[in-house]
Amino acid sequence: MKIFNSIGLGNSGPSCQECTHFQNDPALIEAAYPGLTIMSSGFASVRDRDGLCNYNQIYLSARDSCPHFCRI
Amino acid sequence: MTTNTTETTDIKASGWRQEFWSKEDWWAVWLGLGIVALAYIFYLAGSSISWIAVAPGKWSTLSQLGAQLSKNGIKYLALLAAFLVLFTIVISFIGQKPKAFIKSFIFIFVLSTIIYIVGAWDQANRYNLEPPLVALLLGLIISNVIGLPRWLDAGFRVEFYIKLGIVLLGATLPFTLIIWAGPVAILQASIVSLVTFFVIFLTARKLGLDHRLAAVLGAGGAVCGVSASIAVAGAVRAKKEHPPIAISLVVLWAIVLIFVLPLVCRALGLPTGVAGAWIGTSEFADAAGLAAAQSYGNLAGHHLGIAGTADQALASYTLIKVIGRDIWIGIWSFVLALIAVTVWERNETDSKVQVGQIWWRFPKFVIGFLIASVVTTLLVHGASLADYNKLVKPSLILPITALRTWAFTFSFLSIGLTTRFRDLASTGFKPFLAFTFGVVVNVALGYFLSVVVFGHYWSSIVTH
Repeated sequence: MKIFNSIGLGNSGPSCQECTHFQNDPALIEAAYPGLTIMSSGFASVRDRDGLCNYNQIYLSARDSCPHFCRI
Repeated sequence: MTTNTTETTDIKASGWRQEFWSKEDWWAVWLGLGIVALAYIFYLAGSSISWIAVAPGKWSTLSQLGAQLSKNGIKYLALLAAFLVLFTIVISFIGQKPKAFIKSFIFIFVLSTIIYIVGAWDQANRYNLEPPLVALLLGLIISNVIGLPRWLDAGFRVEFYIKLGIVLLGATLPFTLIIWAGPVAILQASIVSLVTFFVIFLTARKLGLDHRLAAVLGAGGAVCGVSASIAVAGAVRAKKEHPPIAISLVVLWAIVLIFVLPLVCRALGLPTGVAGAWIGTSEFADAAGLAAAQSYGNLAGHHLGIAGTADQALASYTLIKVIGRDIWIGIWSFVLALIAVTVWERNETDSKVQVGQIWWRFPKFVIGFLIASVVTTLLVHGASLADYNKLVKPSLILPITALRTWAFTFSFLSIGLTTRFRDLASTGFKPFLAFTFGVVVNVALGYFLSVVVFGHYWSSIVTH
């Protein structure tokens, strides 16, 4: 089933956190999203290691991956 | 993105061990439990941390206030020094600038002291000078009318202060209460969360908004405000511009409800425990809801016809908000991520949905809250009611309560100081409409469940 195939325990290949397009520094995220610190924080656990992908223009997990991966 | 003026901390490839030192949640746990342990060590030695956990006593004339301040001035300075040392350590570890933080925190501490003193005036209730609301209003006026230099933002860590306060709150709540009321809190909060999410999500979809934006908005209204929105945004791989829309809407409505909910509760004469449950169900962010719950709780016992105690408002609020809503954010993120991958089909990424995010996104400060509750419950277990009131409460519980109130005041003030309305992203009419519809349903359903269905339950919770 597609739904079970989509669940994993971890990514075996390169992930966004090693990609040059990806930025997840909490201070940068707070600067990129004014208002985040009013009732949350860039340093909160709920944010895990999420960050911004400057290639795809999306906000995603550092544990994700995509075909446009480019190692730092 | 403004990268040139922001100090950065490279946690791109951080390991799980570094989480313990780089996240505010864990620091709230370390500091909160450390304070509880220290308080208990002093208590066992026949002493107390009450000397440094200073708080203004009730006063009615300026001469009384002057006498209090001259007597306790050194204690306030010692408390400021202690907070500065502890918080500067935290700020340094998470990678922020200690120098800017120290100046900013002194500013916050001075304002918080004034707010605390105003709240201790015996006529404060008559003029509606509730410390949480005064702190918020003062902060909003300073940041939006007067204006502050940006570097002062270093000390306005709303979330860190509120999480520390919640861990300390755990030390004053019996664990038996959490066991007793937790299931009802989870049931009530789950009903409202699911209904609110689907109302916002389906309305947003009906209006033609993107699946991911609809999910980010829905989570913000249903789970835990901005934190839920940003967590779900990462889980569903939202477009870069989606989180600011949700942030603006959550902040706007959360600030409106901070003032409106206590006013309506007061008009209806709700018992504090019931009001706390309603606020916990219908407010969005932890800090915003605590401001509303604490300000309403402070009205109890002031001859206004409001039954209950201040602690009941905080207890029922915390049970609903933290136990009923916050802790499920990992599950929400996982489920929505799965739907995003299998149903909404985004092509930008090709990775699987990882089960681990249920834990990775778990708000870790809740662990500190629960441990603090268990530990103090065990510690005071053998004490009789007389011993509790004569020894345990003044030596152990009240000093922790005073420190908790300081942490909450820093947070409420920081909400106002960081809210610059002109900086918030424009939301557009459709997201505003979808979110507002969810707010209306949430508030009405929250009232029905808190007052009509479970009112008898929340009005009778025992907090000692």
